[in-house]
Amino acid sequence: MGKIEWAMWANEQSLAAGLIYATGGIVGVAGQFRGWQFAAFGIAAGVFVCLLEYPRSKRRKGTSVERTGQYCFTVCVKAFGPLTRNYYVRAFLHAALCVPGGFMLATVLGCVCLGIASLIYLSAAIHGEHWEPILPRTEQPKSVGNSIKEPPQNPPPRPPPELRRKKVDKLETAVYDNPMSVTINE
Amino acid sequence: MSVALKSWRANEGPKHLITMVWIAANVFLFWKTFMVYFSEAQYYYLHKMLGLGLCISRASASVLNFNCSLVLLPMCRSLLTFLRGSQRVTGRRVRRLLDKSKTFHVACGVTICIFSVVHVSAHLVNMVSFSVRYSEDFPGLNVAQYRGQVTHTDTHMDIFFPGVTGVLLVLVLFLMFTASSYCIRVSSYEIFWYTHNLFIVFYVILMVHVAGGALKYQSNVETHPPGCVQNNLSSWTNHRAAGEKGTESSGAPQTVCQEEARFQPHFPQTWLWVSAPLCLYCAERFYRFIRSSAAPVTIVSVISHPCSVVELRMLKSGFKPHPGQYILLNCPSVSSFENHPFTLTTVSPFVDDWRQYKLKRLYFVWVCRDLQSFYWFADLLCGLHERLWRDNRPDYLNVQLYLSNTQGLQSISEERYRFLSSRLRIGRPKWKLIFQEIGRANQLKRVGVFCCGPKGISKALHTLCNSNPHTETAFEYNKESFS
Repeated sequence: MGKIEWAMWANEQSLAAGLIYATGGIVGVAGQFRGWQFAAFGIAAGVFVCLLEYPRSKRRKGTSVERTGQYCFTVCVKAFGPLTRNYYVRAFLHAALCVPGGFMLATVLGCVCLGIASLIYLSAAIHGEHWEPILPRTEQPKSVGNSIKEPPQNPPPRPPPELRRKKVDKLETAVYDNPMSVTINE
Repeated sequence: MSVALKSWRANEGPKHLITMVWIAANVFLFWKTFMVYFSEAQYYYLHKMLGLGLCISRASASVLNFNCSLVLLPMCRSLLTFLRGSQRVTGRRVRRLLDKSKTFHVACGVTICIFSVVHVSAHLVNMVSFSVRYSEDFPGLNVAQYRGQVTHTDTHMDIFFPGVTGVLLVLVLFLMFTASSYCIRVSSYEIFWYTHNLFIVFYVILMVHVAGGALKYQSNVETHPPGCVQNNLSSWTNHRAAGEKGTESSGAPQTVCQEEARFQPHFPQTWLWVSAPLCLYCAERFYRFIRSSAAPVTIVSVISHPCSVVELRMLKSGFKPHPGQYILLNCPSVSSFENHPFTLTTVSPFVDDWRQYKLKRLYFVWVCRDLQSFYWFADLLCGLHERLWRDNRPDYLNVQLYLSNTQGLQSISEERYRFLSSRLRIGRPKWKLIFQEIGRANQLKRVGVFCCGPKGISKALHTLCNSNPHTETAFEYNKESFS
């Protein structure tokens, strides 16, 4: 089974938590709950978390599966350097973002879910994981049968020059003379 | 590319039919429950108080009931295996439907998540409505403690009982759902397994959730028809009721209420929906546990093969495997609670009589990246070929081996594997040509395609099965599924 990659699970959780946070915020604002300002913050925080968490990190070992269309998000998130690379920063950020949601009924769920995701990110950071962008590989496609197309380095083996030279006295029939015998009788 | 109707009907028809039936059942349940709360007499006052939020929350709750009961059934693997192998259910179509049970489980799970969001949102709106339209006339109907409880105070602390269980349910669902994506299952299976086994917590809390009784129906509709005129009612309510009655039946005398409206919570329907599948699934897990711990497994031999492959030969008393079966293996020293499926590669005794099967010809196409991999079953294939040659059935087995790694000169040099070395081709197979050849050689027959491999090959074969140009040959697609 090997080592668990906590960050992958935290990533899925925080993406879902962001959606829950934003949905709760929308309901809170639309229903005119008291404290709808917290709900509005919830929408903004939820959308921000979704954008931050959409690009998946590269796995330490094995093939990484990208999310559809994540390349532009990867570029944006990569631009922030160590802020997004480090999972301690992410854990702290999610914890800070989730706190205002706890003050309002509609966003309580988003708050708790984001809090759980923040704890898992903390665990990932303690295990020494960090975020790596998945960038497209630029390798030349290897053509089939390269070895067939390589020309031979050496000429085929030949007998020494004195045997190769044709005998002068029999020039007309010299074409039929072989440098080495080709039949058993000769 | 023309879609071969015969193949398409065999491959996709039953699956799409079941999907349509399931969607229709969900839509029917949603609509029926919606209309009950929208227009039935016993919910008249509640509907007046809560509006559309009531109807949507109850309708989504009934869809949730339906799917929470269905989601457990595809996971009763022992029961499905028994059905699949029994004589009564020998139809190929039913067997292939049973193979898709994991897909059905996922569909029900996703539906549960979506409708949970709808249900929670509708109930949040209901909370506001309970507070804003707090009813002094019908105090038994109220859930809020006073008017304006939700909007005018920061009262997230006074969440009543179904609210607390609802929040817990969503949390458990959140944990289960986020750990069940494909990449988590592939990279860290144990996270998926342990979180998914929280389902029992989910169901226990679900049983308690519906016992809260926040929504009530009116139990005395005959003696107190909704909208009737009451003596001690406020004039505003009487005018409104009179106005409505007036529009419905102009000129008719208004009925006077014989008694006060009485409200009581309805019986939790969820218990009816969920109990039976839950008991069935728990019985199934118990049966699996008993069966696996009844007799120990004896490891007869461990053989090491090239490319880091290990062959395990095992014996278990009371267990007689059939060809094509897979087992769930649990290795306590690796992990005590995990079981993983492995197809059995050899079953003894070897099948002797070919005539008992309706199979006319077998095409075996094997693609490997490494030449050494072919040595895993080289002896088996050569032995099979010799046996068929002796039985005068040389055309029964057609073997094609493909080596997808094209670097360097590779060949199987052993003399005893000459049968294989002459059938080894370098490069990936051209599936379209293989299908054309098989279709041409087996016109008007039914060809079963069995695929065990990565998703890319599986998709390519599935598409080719449904769209082969030889419309006289039906290609039925099957893939290895551990459902």
